[in-house]
Amino acid sequence: MKDVFLAGAALYQAGRHYGKNIDDIAAEVLDKALSDAKADIDALFVASSTTELANKQQILGAYVLEALGLDKIPVYRVENGDGSGGAAVALAYHALRSEEHNCVAVVGVDKPNDVLSNQQQDIYAATLDTYFERYFGITPLSYAALMAKMYLKKYEYKYEDLAQWAVLMHSHGAGNPYAYFRRQIKLEDAVNSEVVSEPLRLYDIGPLADGAAAAVLCNSRKEGPRILSVATSTNTAAFNLRPDYDTLYSLNEAARRAFEKAKITPRDVATAEVHDSFSIFGVLAVESLGLVRRGGALAAMKDGDLPVNLSGGFKSRGNMLGAAGVYQLVEVAWQLIGREFRRVDGSYGVVHSMGGVDKVSTVVVVGV
Amino acid sequence: MRHESVPIYWRNIPHYYRLVARRCKRCGAVYFPPVAKCRCGSTELENVELPREGRLVEYTVLHQVGTDFLKQKPLIVGLVELSNGVRVAGQIVDAQPDKLAPGAKMEVVFRRVIADGKHGLVMYGYKFRPVGGI
Repeated sequence: MKDVFLAGAALYQAGRHYGKNIDDIAAEVLDKALSDAKADIDALFVASSTTELANKQQILGAYVLEALGLDKIPVYRVENGDGSGGAAVALAYHALRSEEHNCVAVVGVDKPNDVLSNQQQDIYAATLDTYFERYFGITPLSYAALMAKMYLKKYEYKYEDLAQWAVLMHSHGAGNPYAYFRRQIKLEDAVNSEVVSEPLRLYDIGPLADGAAAAVLCNSRKEGPRILSVATSTNTAAFNLRPDYDTLYSLNEAARRAFEKAKITPRDVATAEVHDSFSIFGVLAVESLGLVRRGGALAAMKDGDLPVNLSGGFKSRGNMLGAAGVYQLVEVAWQLIGREFRRVDGSYGVVHSMGGVDKVSTVVVVGV
Repeated sequence: MRHESVPIYWRNIPHYYRLVARRCKRCGAVYFPPVAKCRCGSTELENVELPREGRLVEYTVLHQVGTDFLKQKPLIVGLVELSNGVRVAGQIVDAQPDKLAPGAKMEVVFRRVIADGKHGLVMYGYKFRPVGGI
């Protein structure tokens, strides 16, 4: 099977893009990525979580191609909630490995700011079990709060320890030109922000942002960042029936398979972009990926910088829902080659893209 | 969300009103929400009603809510372990959050969940409250 390389990519500034339609920003970022790759694509995978609910559009990929006049190629929409990006990368990777396609583009796009914040809560809650969780008013934030409360008690941390996550993310994101919030914060800012679902405060939430990212992947190149492996896994236990609340089981399994296929270990990872839609998910992701020991993520942060979410993560870069996984792939690849981000010293990077509260996770291993 | 679906609500009433779960006839495992197949491989599952008492595992007070819950916020969302060991997540009512603690005795109550505007459905379901009130 042929290897899969990142031939070109582009990121769209995260934010509130009230003046643009969802297909506008997707087409813009795809066009830039195609120019960057200097390649023609023979398929388009569009990752998006909420095009029906927030933007009232289906078959988005076709309208993106229409905007650019790219005729006759297939389009596929991939929806795995806020983990759509990773899932689309997985499908694109398999299409290239099987040589059904030679060059494909993955566009991740979402525009949650087309609706009001309470409607965003409705939409995000639909990543949970809509009949047994969303119906009763349960949201991903409330589950994250329960998990945070249990984690802090079990491993005897204070809330201030968890709040360091936001501080670290902002210190990383301050240098990311595409981030939603490009500034440093102090611990007091996080600790004194309003309580949204105790113990979690406003700064524990990755703000929903409009965004689009495009990656052109080819199996005919021999240079640039290479995708070494992709693995996706699903946690089929309902939240209320899980054996514990400090493991991201979907990530655990996806990581195990991805590392095995890439023939590397967590110790080889120089940079990781993990799904931290809420601070506690970032903490648990670092542990479930195997980068630090169980219960050790917050202690590791006290001891020094973690090479995790150098983009600023969901807190600083923003939570672009279905687009996030594609942002993360491009960020990791660019960090490894020192493009637009500070170059990391190492050969391997890892992406963790998650949908729902540990429902589905995709892990991508990138190497240079 | 505005304009909830009548068929969806109607077909879920047994679960919402009476906590109807699925129990495996072979190994006894209980699933709530219901599943089609037991993890032991058996497809022979029967409906059972879950017990109405249990203990609080953990809870949070949620201030950011969806459009259906704006008038009720903040919501107390908790995880309750019922007397048969099955955990259920849901809203906690009739309680002062600062007096709740894990281990507190809880009971199931039947409450209004969503009133869909002036002309839409009024929808009901289970919630939890501390036994004896606090």
